[in-house]
Amino acid sequence: MKLTPTVLLFFLLPPLLFYLTFVFIPILLSFSTALLDWNGIAQPKWNGLKNYSDLLFHDPLFWITVKRNVVFALFSMSEIPIAFLLAAVLSRYFKNGQRIVAALFFPVILSVVVVGQLWKTIYNPLSRGGLLNHILSLLHLEHLTRAWLADPKVAMYALYLVALWQYLGYHVLIQFTGIQNIPREFQEAATIDGANGYQVIRNIIFPLTMPFFKISFVLAFIGSLQAFDLIMVMTGGGPAHATEVMSTYMYNMSFDSQRYGYGSAIASLLVLFSLLATLILNAFFGRIERRYDLH
Amino acid sequence: MNPKGRPLGRTLLFGFIIFPLLVTQLYPLIWLLLYSLKSNEEIFSGKILALPKEFRFENYVLAVSSGHYIQYLINSIIVTGITLLLLIFLSTSAAYVISRFRFKYSKILLLIFLMGMMLPMQSALLPLMILLKNLGLLNTYLALILPYTAFSMPISIFILSNFMRSIPRELEESAIIDGAGPIRIFWSLILPISRPAITTISILAFISAWNEYIVAATFISSEKLKTLPFGAYSFVSQYAVNYGAIGAYLILAALPMVIIYSILSERITKGMVEGAVKG
Repeated sequence: MKLTPTVLLFFLLPPLLFYLTFVFIPILLSFSTALLDWNGIAQPKWNGLKNYSDLLFHDPLFWITVKRNVVFALFSMSEIPIAFLLAAVLSRYFKNGQRIVAALFFPVILSVVVVGQLWKTIYNPLSRGGLLNHILSLLHLEHLTRAWLADPKVAMYALYLVALWQYLGYHVLIQFTGIQNIPREFQEAATIDGANGYQVIRNIIFPLTMPFFKISFVLAFIGSLQAFDLIMVMTGGGPAHATEVMSTYMYNMSFDSQRYGYGSAIASLLVLFSLLATLILNAFFGRIERRYDLH
Repeated sequence: MNPKGRPLGRTLLFGFIIFPLLVTQLYPLIWLLLYSLKSNEEIFSGKILALPKEFRFENYVLAVSSGHYIQYLINSIIVTGITLLLLIFLSTSAAYVISRFRFKYSKILLLIFLMGMMLPMQSALLPLMILLKNLGLLNTYLALILPYTAFSMPISIFILSNFMRSIPRELEESAIIDGAGPIRIFWSLILPISRPAITTISILAFISAWNEYIVAATFISSEKLKTLPFGAYSFVSQYAVNYGAIGAYLILAALPMVIIYSILSERITKGMVEGAVKG
């Protein structure tokens, strides 16, 4: 159909204006606020690119937070092959695979507050009934018990683990769906030809589920780059910045230290990194798909 | 392969891989449930599988009576409900224009909407706060409803416009011959057909709005307006030494989702996969 002024006015303008006002323009504004020296109360002062140059060249903490986001992403992606194998096993050997997947998926839909507080109690010191420390002491590993979230050396890893726990089921679900989408005849034909379970997984299931791998990897990568709420709930970036990532650093700078310009500079870099990561991942999987000749 | 080989292999797989995994994924939640019925002393003694000596339901009574549970629950229902209505209204109409009309800028338009899928909401927090403050909307339901709706639009428009594009043109053409205008076609043809896609976007938006914490904690300060996740967080900070009550509150906070998931798990998992395909 041809676009008429009525259609434009009734159907397009409201959603477009709404979206621009509450998503697009605020994001753009973080780029311009980044050029100011502003605490939100006094008159904003023009600061040029100083926030960016401070951030990139004189703030070691910023690069540490970036590194943590990257490590976070690597950890998150490392569970995808495990999820794939689980999904393959579940769909090949279990009639009620769907139910098991649904059970594994359950933590995904819980609020970050519930998950975060639950794991905070699990990580509690022995004297306060922390589950993890109790299991360790039952295994006679008392020397490993500690206050997991208060120890700067391990706190970040304790947080990675929670994210791995919460999202394992998501990846299993995605991979399981991918495997279920493969026509049954493919697997049966291969089995008749004498392929064993491993060969079926390696030569039939794996290449055909490539698009679903891409989904999992993009979710894990972008999710970790933007990791935020879980850390805010569990540690707020502490102790002593030991669990600070880009988003929490941005939040603490903007809302705690009232350094709006500096916080916005971090926010805008987060946007750029997210866009960049999406481009890189798309290019990467584009190449793999071409190699397997999938489209 | 002998006929007994497969069941044995399956039992081993289940016993050594799948079952331990189910335990690690679900046990923490069961532990929380036991925890929520214990006294502090029992929690500190920390027998990890022990049932409570007596079920301390007073933990739940305390959580509901002094934790404003009902109030927060109602707030969450209001915020999530209006978000869903507004989202369905805005994104179906945008998807309709993008998928069913030919015009010069439709590609660019779609791209602008889709870019939003990659934009992290936290990067917009500060500008949004300033905007909402200037509009006088900070610390109102709208301070949550507007951002939740807006940030759910990109994925929703993506899913809806893909779906609507697959509706055959002939249906539309025969409606035009019958004299229907674009509004009638939208209302009595496109919308009813798109119901599956609308269900999907509603599930996605429901889960993210219902569970959202940071925006609520940043834009809301009044006790009367807190949503359930934010309220649960406040309760936990306030009753920091009453462990059983904290456990009870977390169970209560998770309860609505648990109920919904146990009824609709198939729809929800399907919707979550469709939503993930956005990459």
